[in-house]
Amino acid sequence: MELMNNYKETILIVDLDAKQCDTESLSEDMVAAGLGGAGITTALYEQYKDRDPLIIGTGFFTGTFMPGGCAGVVSAKSPVTGKLCHVPFGGYAAVELKLTGFDFVVVLGSSDSPVRLWLHDGLSDLDDAADIWGKDVWDSVDKIREAYGDEMIQLLVIGPAAEAQSKASQFSVNYWGSFDKSALGAVFGAKKLKAIALRGLDSLDVAEGFFGACVDLKNAICAGAISGKYGLKDIAKDIGIDAGAIEKLASMTHRNNAAYNCPYAAAAFVKYNEAPTAVDMKGHPAPGCLITDIQGFAALHGAGLDAGQAMEQCFRQGIEPEAAAKAGKTDGVSADAGKAGAFSTAVPVSIFGSGQGDAGWQKRQALAAVLGIDPMLMVMAPEITEAKIVELVQMSAEWDDFSAEELDRIASAVIAKSA
Amino acid sequence: MDLKVDSLKCTGCRICEFACNYHQDETISSIGSSLMFYFEEKKNYYGMMVKRAKTLYLGRPEGEQLLKPGEQIEGAGASAKPILLRVACDCCADEDDGPLCVRACPYGVLSLEG
Repeated sequence: MELMNNYKETILIVDLDAKQCDTESLSEDMVAAGLGGAGITTALYEQYKDRDPLIIGTGFFTGTFMPGGCAGVVSAKSPVTGKLCHVPFGGYAAVELKLTGFDFVVVLGSSDSPVRLWLHDGLSDLDDAADIWGKDVWDSVDKIREAYGDEMIQLLVIGPAAEAQSKASQFSVNYWGSFDKSALGAVFGAKKLKAIALRGLDSLDVAEGFFGACVDLKNAICAGAISGKYGLKDIAKDIGIDAGAIEKLASMTHRNNAAYNCPYAAAAFVKYNEAPTAVDMKGHPAPGCLITDIQGFAALHGAGLDAGQAMEQCFRQGIEPEAAAKAGKTDGVSADAGKAGAFSTAVPVSIFGSGQGDAGWQKRQALAAVLGIDPMLMVMAPEITEAKIVELVQMSAEWDDFSAEELDRIASAVIAKSA
Repeated sequence: MDLKVDSLKCTGCRICEFACNYHQDETISSIGSSLMFYFEEKKNYYGMMVKRAKTLYLGRPEGEQLLKPGEQIEGAGASAKPILLRVACDCCADEDDGPLCVRACPYGVLSLEG
Protein backbone atom coordinates (compact mmCIF):
# COMPACT_ATOMS: atom_id res chain seq x y z
CA MET A 1 0.00 0.00 0.00
CA GLU A 2 1.24 3.48 -0.93
CA LEU A 3 -0.52 6.27 1.02
CA MET A 4 1.07 9.35 -0.52
CA ASN A 5 -1.22 9.35 -3.55
CA ASN A 6 -4.26 9.71 -1.30
CA TYR A 7 -3.21 11.09 2.06
CA LYS A 8 -0.76 13.44 3.75
CA GLU A 9 -0.54 10.83 6.56
CA THR A 10 -1.27 13.25 9.40
CA ILE A 11 -4.05 13.49 11.99
CA LEU A 12 -4.42 16.72 13.95
CA ILE A 13 -5.57 16.40 17.56
CA VAL A 14 -7.01 19.63 18.96
CA ASP A 15 -7.43 19.62 22.74
CA LEU A 16 -9.73 22.54 23.50
CA ASP A 17 -9.53 21.99 27.27
CA ALA A 18 -5.78 22.60 27.16
CA LYS A 19 -5.94 24.83 24.04
CA GLN A 20 -3.24 22.72 22.44
CA CYS A 21 -2.73 21.11 19.05
CA ASP A 22 -0.74 17.94 18.41
CA THR A 23 -0.33 15.51 15.54
CA GLU A 24 -0.42 11.75 15.11
CA SER A 25 0.47 9.70 12.06
CA LEU A 26 -2.22 8.26 9.85
CA SER A 27 -0.90 4.73 9.68
CA GLU A 28 -1.25 2.08 6.99
CA ASP A 29 -3.06 -0.06 9.58
CA MET A 30 -5.74 2.63 10.04
CA VAL A 31 -6.26 2.92 6.29
CA ALA A 32 -6.35 -0.86 5.91
CA ALA A 33 -9.02 -1.04 8.60
CA GLY A 34 -11.19 1.91 7.55
CA LEU A 35 -9.93 3.08 4.13
CA GLY A 36 -10.78 6.75 4.71
CA GLY A 37 -13.42 9.33 5.58
CA ALA A 38 -16.13 7.92 7.82
CA GLY A 39 -14.30 4.58 8.01
CA ILE A 40 -11.53 6.34 9.93
CA THR A 41 -13.59 9.02 11.70
CA THR A 42 -15.64 6.17 13.19
CA ALA A 43 -12.47 4.55 14.57
CA LEU A 44 -11.25 7.90 15.92
CA TYR A 45 -14.69 8.52 17.48
CA GLU A 46 -14.47 5.23 19.35
CA GLN A 47 -10.89 5.94 20.42
CA TYR A 48 -11.78 9.35 21.89
CA LYS A 49 -15.43 8.74 22.79
CA ASP A 50 -15.09 9.87 26.41
CA ARG A 51 -14.01 13.38 25.30
CA ASP A 52 -17.03 14.20 23.12
CA PRO A 53 -15.07 14.25 19.87
CA LEU A 54 -15.95 16.30 16.81
CA ILE A 55 -14.05 14.80 13.89
CA ILE A 56 -13.52 16.29 10.47
CA GLY A 57 -12.19 13.90 7.87
CA THR A 58 -11.22 13.70 4.24
CA GLY A 59 -12.13 10.69 2.15
CA PHE A 60 -9.76 8.29 0.42
CA PHE A 61 -10.34 10.03 -2.94
CA THR A 62 -10.91 13.60 -1.66
CA GLY A 63 -8.89 16.03 -3.76
CA THR A 64 -7.84 13.43 -6.33
CA PHE A 65 -8.87 12.95 -9.97
CA MET A 66 -11.66 10.55 -8.91
CA PRO A 67 -14.86 12.08 -10.36
CA GLY A 68 -16.82 13.72 -7.56
CA GLY A 69 -13.84 13.56 -5.19
CA CYS A 70 -14.84 16.77 -3.44
CA ALA A 71 -16.27 15.60 -0.17
CA GLY A 72 -15.24 15.45 3.44
CA VAL A 73 -17.22 14.33 6.45
CA VAL A 74 -17.99 15.78 9.85
CA SER A 75 -18.61 13.00 12.35
CA ALA A 76 -19.94 13.46 15.87
CA LYS A 77 -22.75 12.46 18.20
CA SER A 78 -25.84 14.30 17.04
CA PRO A 79 -27.55 16.39 19.75
CA VAL A 80 -30.82 15.37 18.06
CA THR A 81 -30.43 11.59 17.84
CA GLY A 82 -27.76 11.00 20.50
CA LYS A 83 -25.96 8.78 17.98
CA LEU A 84 -22.87 9.03 15.81
CA CYS A 85 -23.70 10.60 12.46
CA HIS A 86 -21.73 11.63 9.40
CA VAL A 87 -22.50 14.89 7.59
CA PRO A 88 -20.85 15.44 4.21
CA PHE A 89 -19.32 18.75 3.20
CA GLY A 90 -18.21 19.71 -0.27
CA GLY A 91 -17.50 22.65 -2.49
CA TYR A 92 -13.73 23.05 -2.20
CA ALA A 93 -13.47 22.86 1.59
CA ALA A 94 -12.55 19.19 1.94
CA VAL A 95 -9.95 19.42 -0.83
CA GLU A 96 -8.54 22.47 0.89
CA LEU A 97 -8.38 20.55 4.20
CA LYS A 98 -6.38 17.70 2.70
CA LEU A 99 -3.99 20.13 1.04
CA THR A 100 -3.36 21.91 4.35
CA GLY A 101 -1.44 18.76 5.23
CA PHE A 102 -4.02 17.35 7.67
CA ASP A 103 -6.16 14.38 6.62
CA PHE A 104 -8.24 14.27 9.79
CA VAL A 105 -8.94 16.74 12.60
CA VAL A 106 -10.07 15.46 15.99
CA VAL A 107 -11.47 18.19 18.25
CA LEU A 108 -11.65 17.15 21.90
CA GLY A 109 -13.20 18.78 24.96
CA SER A 110 -14.44 22.35 24.99
CA SER A 111 -12.88 25.78 25.21
CA ASP A 112 -13.67 28.25 27.99
CA SER A 113 -13.66 31.08 25.44
CA PRO A 114 -14.52 31.33 21.73
CA VAL A 115 -11.81 30.05 19.40
CA ARG A 116 -11.24 29.46 15.71
CA LEU A 117 -8.88 26.91 14.19
CA TRP A 118 -6.69 28.09 11.29
CA LEU A 119 -5.08 25.33 9.26
CA HIS A 120 -2.57 26.24 6.57
CA ASP A 121 0.77 25.06 5.17
CA GLY A 122 0.99 22.14 7.61
CA LEU A 123 0.42 24.50 10.55
CA SER A 124 -2.43 24.66 13.05
CA ASP A 125 -3.23 27.86 14.94
CA LEU A 126 -5.89 27.96 17.62
CA ASP A 127 -6.84 31.64 17.66
CA ASP A 128 -9.15 33.73 19.79
CA ALA A 129 -12.58 34.27 18.21
CA ALA A 130 -14.14 36.73 20.65
CA ASP A 131 -14.30 39.28 17.81
CA ILE A 132 -16.69 37.12 15.76
CA TRP A 133 -18.60 35.21 18.46
CA GLY A 134 -22.21 36.38 18.14
CA LYS A 135 -21.76 37.51 14.55
CA ASP A 136 -23.69 35.89 11.75
CA VAL A 137 -22.12 33.43 9.32
CA TRP A 138 -21.68 35.91 6.47
CA ASP A 139 -19.96 38.51 8.64
CA SER A 140 -17.79 35.81 10.19
CA VAL A 141 -16.63 34.46 6.80
CA ASP A 142 -15.74 37.97 5.65
CA LYS A 143 -13.89 38.82 8.86
CA ILE A 144 -11.90 35.56 8.96
CA ARG A 145 -10.83 35.89 5.31
CA GLU A 146 -9.83 39.48 5.93
CA ALA A 147 -7.93 38.58 9.12
CA TYR A 148 -5.93 35.82 7.41
CA GLY A 149 -5.57 37.77 4.16
CA ASP A 150 -6.88 35.30 1.59
CA GLU A 151 -10.20 35.34 -0.28
CA MET A 152 -9.90 31.64 -1.14
CA ILE A 153 -9.91 30.42 2.48
CA GLN A 154 -12.57 27.73 2.94
CA LEU A 155 -14.53 27.57 6.17
CA LEU A 156 -16.64 25.38 8.35
CA VAL A 157 -18.34 28.00 10.49
CA ILE A 158 -21.34 28.47 12.76
CA GLY A 159 -23.80 31.29 13.34
CA PRO A 160 -25.71 32.46 16.40
CA ALA A 161 -28.12 29.48 16.30
CA ALA A 162 -25.34 26.96 16.78
CA GLU A 163 -23.58 29.15 19.33
CA ALA A 164 -26.79 28.83 21.38
CA GLN A 165 -26.63 25.04 20.76
CA SER A 166 -30.01 25.00 19.05
CA LYS A 167 -31.19 21.67 17.69
CA ALA A 168 -32.40 23.64 14.67
CA SER A 169 -28.86 24.77 13.85
CA GLN A 170 -26.35 23.57 11.31
CA PHE A 171 -22.72 24.25 10.54
CA SER A 172 -22.08 26.17 7.35
CA VAL A 173 -19.58 25.71 4.52
CA ASN A 174 -18.53 29.29 3.76
CA TYR A 175 -21.68 31.42 3.36
CA TRP A 176 -24.04 28.74 2.11
CA GLY A 177 -25.21 26.39 4.85
CA SER A 178 -24.64 22.66 4.53
CA PHE A 179 -26.28 19.24 4.43
CA ASP A 180 -26.24 19.19 8.26
CA LYS A 181 -29.70 18.02 9.32
CA SER A 182 -28.33 16.55 12.58
CA ALA A 183 -27.41 19.79 14.39
CA LEU A 184 -23.66 19.11 14.37
CA GLY A 185 -23.34 22.88 14.30
CA ALA A 186 -24.48 22.77 17.92
CA VAL A 187 -21.50 20.51 18.71
CA PHE A 188 -19.21 23.27 17.40
CA GLY A 189 -21.19 25.70 19.59
CA ALA A 190 -20.86 23.57 22.73
CA LYS A 191 -17.11 23.52 22.19
CA LYS A 192 -17.04 27.30 21.57
CA LEU A 193 -15.42 26.51 18.24
CA LYS A 194 -16.64 29.28 15.94
CA ALA A 195 -14.88 28.18 12.77
CA ILE A 196 -12.29 26.02 11.10
CA ALA A 197 -10.48 28.01 8.40
CA LEU A 198 -8.64 26.13 5.68
CA ARG A 199 -6.09 27.07 3.04
CA GLY A 200 -4.08 24.26 1.50
CA LEU A 201 -1.20 24.73 -0.88
CA ASP A 202 0.29 21.24 -0.52
CA SER A 203 0.05 18.49 -3.13
CA LEU A 204 -0.66 14.79 -3.57
CA ASP A 205 1.24 12.35 -5.77
CA VAL A 206 -0.60 10.49 -8.51
CA ALA A 207 -0.29 6.82 -9.41
CA GLU A 208 0.65 5.84 -12.96
CA GLY A 209 -2.47 5.56 -15.11
CA PHE A 210 -4.82 7.01 -12.50
CA PHE A 211 -5.53 10.26 -14.37
CA GLY A 212 -6.56 8.45 -17.55
CA ALA A 213 -8.70 5.93 -15.66
CA CYS A 214 -10.54 8.77 -13.92
CA VAL A 215 -11.11 10.64 -17.20
CA ASP A 216 -12.60 7.43 -18.64
CA LEU A 217 -14.93 7.11 -15.63
CA LYS A 218 -15.90 10.79 -15.88
CA ASN A 219 -16.78 10.29 -19.56
CA ALA A 220 -18.88 7.22 -18.69
CA ILE A 221 -20.73 9.20 -15.99
CA CYS A 222 -21.42 12.09 -18.38
CA ALA A 223 -22.77 9.66 -20.98
CA GLY A 224 -24.84 7.77 -18.40
CA ALA A 225 -27.82 8.53 -16.17
CA ILE A 226 -27.05 12.26 -15.94
CA SER A 227 -26.80 12.71 -19.70
CA GLY A 228 -29.17 15.46 -20.89
CA LYS A 229 -29.81 16.68 -17.33
CA TYR A 230 -28.49 19.94 -15.98
CA GLY A 231 -28.52 21.84 -12.74
CA LEU A 232 -30.49 21.73 -9.53
CA LYS A 233 -33.78 22.34 -11.37
CA ASP A 234 -33.61 18.97 -13.15
CA ILE A 235 -32.91 17.23 -9.83
CA ALA A 236 -35.86 19.06 -8.28
CA LYS A 237 -38.16 17.93 -11.10
CA ASP A 238 -36.97 14.35 -10.83
CA ILE A 239 -37.49 13.99 -7.09
CA GLY A 240 -41.00 15.44 -7.17
CA ILE A 241 -40.43 18.89 -5.70
CA ASP A 242 -43.54 21.11 -5.81
CA ALA A 243 -43.95 22.79 -9.21
CA GLY A 244 -44.29 26.24 -7.64
CA ALA A 245 -40.95 25.84 -5.86
CA ILE A 246 -39.28 24.67 -9.08
CA GLU A 247 -40.69 27.65 -10.95
CA LYS A 248 -39.41 29.97 -8.21
CA LEU A 249 -35.95 28.35 -8.35
CA ALA A 250 -35.81 28.48 -12.14
CA SER A 251 -36.89 32.11 -12.29
CA MET A 252 -34.05 33.18 -9.97
CA THR A 253 -31.23 30.88 -11.09
CA HIS A 254 -28.13 32.72 -12.22
CA ARG A 255 -25.69 29.85 -12.80
CA ASN A 256 -25.41 26.22 -11.73
CA ASN A 257 -22.21 25.45 -9.86
CA ALA A 258 -20.34 22.20 -9.35
CA ALA A 259 -18.22 21.19 -6.40
CA TYR A 260 -14.58 20.24 -7.02
CA ASN A 261 -14.27 17.74 -9.89
CA CYS A 262 -18.01 17.00 -10.00
CA PRO A 263 -19.42 16.13 -13.42
CA TYR A 264 -22.88 17.32 -12.39
CA ALA A 265 -23.56 20.93 -11.34
CA ALA A 266 -25.95 20.30 -8.46
CA ALA A 267 -25.93 23.76 -6.85
CA ALA A 268 -27.92 26.75 -8.10
CA PHE A 269 -26.90 30.32 -7.38
CA VAL A 270 -30.12 32.32 -7.18
CA LYS A 271 -30.26 36.10 -7.48
CA TYR A 272 -32.99 38.24 -5.95
CA ASN A 273 -31.14 41.53 -5.42
CA GLU A 274 -30.35 41.96 -9.11
CA ALA A 275 -31.42 40.35 -12.40
CA PRO A 276 -30.44 36.65 -12.50
CA THR A 277 -29.12 37.24 -16.02
CA ALA A 278 -26.56 39.82 -14.82
CA VAL A 279 -23.01 38.51 -15.28
CA ASP A 280 -21.08 41.70 -14.69
CA MET A 281 -18.33 41.83 -12.08
CA LYS A 282 -19.49 45.22 -10.84
CA GLY A 283 -23.03 44.27 -9.85
CA HIS A 284 -24.67 44.07 -6.40
CA PRO A 285 -22.11 43.06 -3.73
CA ALA A 286 -24.40 40.28 -2.42
CA PRO A 287 -26.93 39.54 -5.17
CA GLY A 288 -28.26 36.25 -3.81
CA CYS A 289 -27.25 32.88 -2.43
CA LEU A 290 -26.14 29.38 -3.39
CA ILE A 291 -28.75 26.62 -3.02
CA THR A 292 -27.59 23.05 -2.53
CA ASP A 293 -30.40 21.79 -0.26
CA ILE A 294 -33.35 21.74 -2.64
CA GLN A 295 -35.60 20.17 -0.01
CA GLY A 296 -34.88 23.07 2.34
CA PHE A 297 -35.62 25.58 -0.42
CA ALA A 298 -38.89 23.82 -1.31
CA ALA A 299 -39.94 23.58 2.34
CA LEU A 300 -39.45 27.34 2.84
CA HIS A 301 -41.43 28.01 -0.34
CA GLY A 302 -44.16 25.67 0.90
CA ALA A 303 -44.26 27.54 4.22
CA GLY A 304 -45.23 30.67 2.32
CA LEU A 305 -41.85 32.39 2.70
CA ASP A 306 -39.83 34.01 -0.09
CA ALA A 307 -37.55 31.01 -0.47
CA GLY A 308 -34.44 32.78 -1.78
CA GLN A 309 -34.41 35.47 0.90
CA ALA A 310 -35.43 32.96 3.58
CA MET A 311 -32.51 30.71 2.64
CA GLU A 312 -30.19 33.70 3.06
CA GLN A 313 -31.59 34.37 6.52
CA CYS A 314 -31.13 30.70 7.46
CA PHE A 315 -27.55 30.76 6.16
CA ARG A 316 -26.75 33.95 8.06
CA GLN A 317 -28.14 32.65 11.36
CA GLY A 318 -26.91 29.08 10.79
CA ILE A 319 -30.38 27.56 10.91
CA GLU A 320 -31.30 24.34 9.12
CA PRO A 321 -33.85 25.45 6.44
CA GLU A 322 -36.37 22.64 6.94
CA ALA A 323 -36.49 23.45 10.67
CA ALA A 324 -37.21 27.09 9.78
CA ALA A 325 -39.92 26.00 7.34
CA LYS A 326 -41.51 23.84 10.04
CA ALA A 327 -41.53 26.85 12.38
CA GLY A 328 -42.74 29.13 9.58
CA LYS A 329 -40.04 31.72 10.34
CA THR A 330 -36.29 32.28 10.10
CA ASP A 331 -35.61 33.70 13.56
CA GLY A 332 -36.08 32.23 17.00
CA VAL A 333 -36.27 28.67 15.62
CA SER A 334 -35.51 26.07 18.28
CA ALA A 335 -36.96 22.72 17.17
CA ASP A 336 -35.36 20.48 14.56
CA ALA A 337 -37.27 19.28 11.51
CA GLY A 338 -37.08 15.60 12.42
CA LYS A 339 -34.74 14.86 9.51
CA ALA A 340 -31.63 13.80 11.46
CA GLY A 341 -30.03 10.49 10.59
CA ALA A 342 -26.75 8.61 10.33
CA PHE A 343 -26.26 10.21 6.89
CA SER A 344 -27.68 13.45 5.55
CA THR A 345 -31.30 13.29 4.46
CA ALA A 346 -30.61 16.30 2.22
CA VAL A 347 -29.52 13.65 -0.30
CA PRO A 348 -32.51 12.11 -2.12
CA VAL A 349 -32.94 8.32 -2.14
CA SER A 350 -33.21 8.27 -5.92
CA ILE A 351 -32.17 10.73 -8.66
CA PHE A 352 -32.66 10.20 -12.40
CA GLY A 353 -33.87 6.64 -11.85
CA SER A 354 -30.62 5.61 -10.23
CA GLY A 355 -31.80 4.88 -6.70
CA GLN A 356 -31.45 1.48 -5.04
CA GLY A 357 -34.05 1.81 -2.27
CA ASP A 358 -33.43 2.82 1.34
CA ALA A 359 -30.82 0.14 2.07
CA GLY A 360 -29.04 0.84 -1.22
CA TRP A 361 -29.10 4.57 -0.47
CA GLN A 362 -27.56 3.97 2.95
CA LYS A 363 -24.74 1.91 1.50
CA ARG A 364 -24.05 4.46 -1.26
CA GLN A 365 -23.97 7.22 1.39
CA ALA A 366 -21.60 5.18 3.56
CA LEU A 367 -19.32 4.65 0.56
CA ALA A 368 -19.48 8.35 -0.33
CA ALA A 369 -18.53 9.23 3.26
CA VAL A 370 -15.61 6.76 3.26
CA LEU A 371 -14.29 7.62 -0.19
CA GLY A 372 -14.89 11.39 -0.19
CA ILE A 373 -17.15 11.29 -3.23
CA ASP A 374 -20.01 13.76 -3.59
CA PRO A 375 -23.04 12.09 -1.91
CA MET A 376 -25.47 13.33 -4.59
CA LEU A 377 -23.25 11.99 -7.37
CA MET A 378 -23.11 8.61 -5.63
CA VAL A 379 -26.89 8.40 -5.98
CA MET A 380 -27.17 9.73 -9.54
CA ALA A 381 -24.14 7.99 -11.10
CA PRO A 382 -24.52 4.18 -11.09
CA GLU A 383 -21.43 4.15 -13.33
CA ILE A 384 -19.42 4.47 -10.09
CA THR A 385 -19.76 0.74 -9.44
CA GLU A 386 -18.21 -1.02 -6.48
CA ALA A 387 -15.99 -2.93 -8.90
CA LYS A 388 -14.76 0.38 -10.36
CA ILE A 389 -14.14 1.73 -6.86
CA VAL A 390 -12.07 -1.33 -5.96
CA GLU A 391 -10.09 -1.04 -9.22
CA LEU A 392 -9.31 2.64 -8.55
CA VAL A 393 -8.38 2.06 -4.89
CA GLN A 394 -5.99 -0.69 -6.02
CA MET A 395 -4.49 1.55 -8.69
CA SER A 396 -4.23 4.72 -6.63
CA ALA A 397 -2.69 3.16 -3.54
CA GLU A 398 -0.83 0.38 -5.35
CA TRP A 399 -2.81 -1.96 -3.11
CA ASP A 400 -3.35 -5.11 -5.15
CA ASP A 401 -5.10 -7.18 -2.52
CA PHE A 402 -7.82 -4.61 -1.73
CA SER A 403 -11.07 -6.39 -2.50
CA ALA A 404 -14.82 -5.91 -2.94
CA GLU A 405 -15.26 -7.86 0.30
CA GLU A 406 -13.09 -5.35 2.15
CA LEU A 407 -15.04 -2.42 0.69
CA ASP A 408 -18.28 -4.05 1.75
CA ARG A 409 -16.95 -4.75 5.25
CA ILE A 410 -15.86 -1.13 5.70
CA ALA A 411 -19.20 0.33 4.51
CA SER A 412 -21.16 -2.13 6.66
CA ALA A 413 -19.12 -1.23 9.75
CA VAL A 414 -19.75 2.51 9.23
CA ILE A 415 -23.48 1.86 8.94
CA ALA A 416 -23.59 -0.49 11.96
CA LYS A 417 -21.65 1.85 14.26
CA SER A 418 -23.77 4.90 13.45
CA ALA A 419 -27.13 3.14 13.76
CA MET B 1 -2.36 26.94 -30.78
CA ASP B 2 -3.90 28.56 -27.72
CA LEU B 3 -6.28 27.43 -25.03
CA LYS B 4 -9.72 29.04 -25.19
CA VAL B 5 -12.34 29.27 -22.42
CA ASP B 6 -16.12 29.28 -22.93
CA SER B 7 -16.78 30.83 -19.54
CA LEU B 8 -20.56 30.58 -19.44
CA LYS B 9 -20.30 26.78 -19.75
CA CYS B 10 -18.03 26.68 -16.70
CA THR B 11 -19.50 25.44 -13.40
CA GLY B 12 -16.44 26.22 -11.28
CA CYS B 13 -15.43 22.60 -10.58
CA ARG B 14 -11.78 23.61 -11.00
CA ILE B 15 -10.54 20.20 -12.17
CA CYS B 16 -8.81 21.95 -15.10
CA GLU B 17 -6.44 23.73 -12.71
CA PHE B 18 -5.48 20.47 -11.03
CA ALA B 19 -5.11 18.65 -14.37
CA CYS B 20 -2.78 21.40 -15.57
CA ASN B 21 -0.71 21.16 -12.40
CA TYR B 22 -0.43 17.40 -13.00
CA HIS B 23 0.94 18.13 -16.47
CA GLN B 24 3.42 20.65 -15.06
CA ASP B 25 4.84 18.66 -12.13
CA GLU B 26 3.00 15.31 -11.90
CA THR B 27 1.24 16.14 -8.64
CA ILE B 28 -2.28 17.14 -7.64
CA SER B 29 -2.36 20.76 -6.54
CA SER B 30 -3.41 24.04 -8.08
CA ILE B 31 -0.45 26.24 -7.34
CA GLY B 32 1.68 25.26 -10.33
CA SER B 33 -1.11 25.47 -12.89
CA SER B 34 -1.07 27.74 -15.95
CA LEU B 35 -4.82 28.12 -15.42
CA MET B 36 -6.28 29.94 -12.48
CA PHE B 37 -9.86 30.04 -11.32
CA TYR B 38 -10.93 33.58 -10.45
CA PHE B 39 -13.81 33.69 -7.98
CA GLU B 40 -15.78 36.37 -6.17
CA GLU B 41 -17.84 34.02 -4.08
CA LYS B 42 -20.57 36.26 -2.71
CA LYS B 43 -21.35 37.51 -6.24
CA ASN B 44 -20.90 34.04 -7.76
CA TYR B 45 -18.71 35.77 -10.32
CA TYR B 46 -16.15 33.42 -11.78
CA GLY B 47 -14.00 32.78 -14.79
CA MET B 48 -10.65 31.32 -15.82
CA MET B 49 -7.32 33.00 -16.43
CA VAL B 50 -4.70 31.36 -18.63
CA LYS B 51 -1.07 32.35 -18.49
CA ARG B 52 0.15 32.45 -22.08
CA ALA B 53 3.75 33.05 -23.15
CA LYS B 54 3.36 36.79 -23.69
CA THR B 55 -0.15 37.60 -22.51
CA LEU B 56 -2.71 36.78 -19.88
CA TYR B 57 -5.94 35.41 -21.37
CA LEU B 58 -9.15 35.98 -19.41
CA GLY B 59 -12.22 33.84 -20.03
CA ARG B 60 -14.83 35.94 -18.24
CA PRO B 61 -18.62 35.70 -18.19
CA GLU B 62 -18.73 39.03 -20.03
CA GLY B 63 -16.43 37.71 -22.75
CA GLU B 64 -12.78 37.08 -23.54
CA GLN B 65 -9.95 39.52 -22.97
CA LEU B 66 -6.19 39.57 -23.44
CA LEU B 67 -3.98 41.51 -21.05
CA LYS B 68 -0.37 42.47 -21.60
CA PRO B 69 2.17 42.34 -18.74
CA GLY B 70 1.41 45.07 -16.23
CA GLU B 71 -2.20 45.58 -17.26
CA GLN B 72 -4.91 45.00 -14.66
CA ILE B 73 -8.66 44.58 -14.67
CA GLU B 74 -10.56 47.29 -12.86
CA GLY B 75 -12.25 45.88 -9.78
CA ALA B 76 -10.32 42.60 -9.72
CA GLY B 77 -9.41 41.30 -6.27
CA ALA B 78 -6.07 40.13 -4.93
CA SER B 79 -6.58 36.58 -6.21
CA ALA B 80 -6.05 37.85 -9.79
CA LYS B 81 -2.36 38.56 -9.27
CA PRO B 82 -0.43 35.35 -8.45
CA ILE B 83 -0.89 33.84 -11.94
CA LEU B 84 1.71 36.23 -13.33
CA LEU B 85 4.33 34.09 -11.58
CA ARG B 86 3.11 30.85 -13.15
CA VAL B 87 4.55 28.77 -16.00
CA ALA B 88 2.93 29.61 -19.37
CA CYS B 89 0.48 27.17 -20.93
CA ASP B 90 2.18 24.95 -23.54
CA CYS B 91 -1.13 23.34 -24.61
CA CYS B 92 0.31 20.03 -23.34
CA ALA B 93 2.34 19.74 -26.56
CA ASP B 94 3.92 16.49 -25.37
CA GLU B 95 0.62 14.76 -24.55
CA ASP B 96 -0.59 12.34 -27.24
CA ASP B 97 -4.27 12.71 -26.31
CA GLY B 98 -4.36 16.50 -26.09
CA PRO B 99 -4.35 18.96 -23.19
CA LEU B 100 -5.12 17.38 -19.83
CA CYS B 101 -7.43 20.26 -18.84
CA VAL B 102 -9.55 19.73 -21.96
CA ARG B 103 -9.75 15.99 -21.25
CA ALA B 104 -10.60 16.47 -17.58
CA CYS B 105 -13.33 19.12 -17.99
CA PRO B 106 -16.81 17.52 -17.84
CA TYR B 107 -18.53 20.57 -19.34
CA GLY B 108 -16.74 21.28 -22.63
CA VAL B 109 -15.47 24.62 -21.37
CA LEU B 110 -11.97 24.40 -22.82
CA SER B 111 -10.73 23.98 -26.36
CA LEU B 112 -7.71 24.71 -28.55
CA GLU B 113 -7.84 27.39 -31.22
CA GLY B 114 -5.47 28.56 -33.89
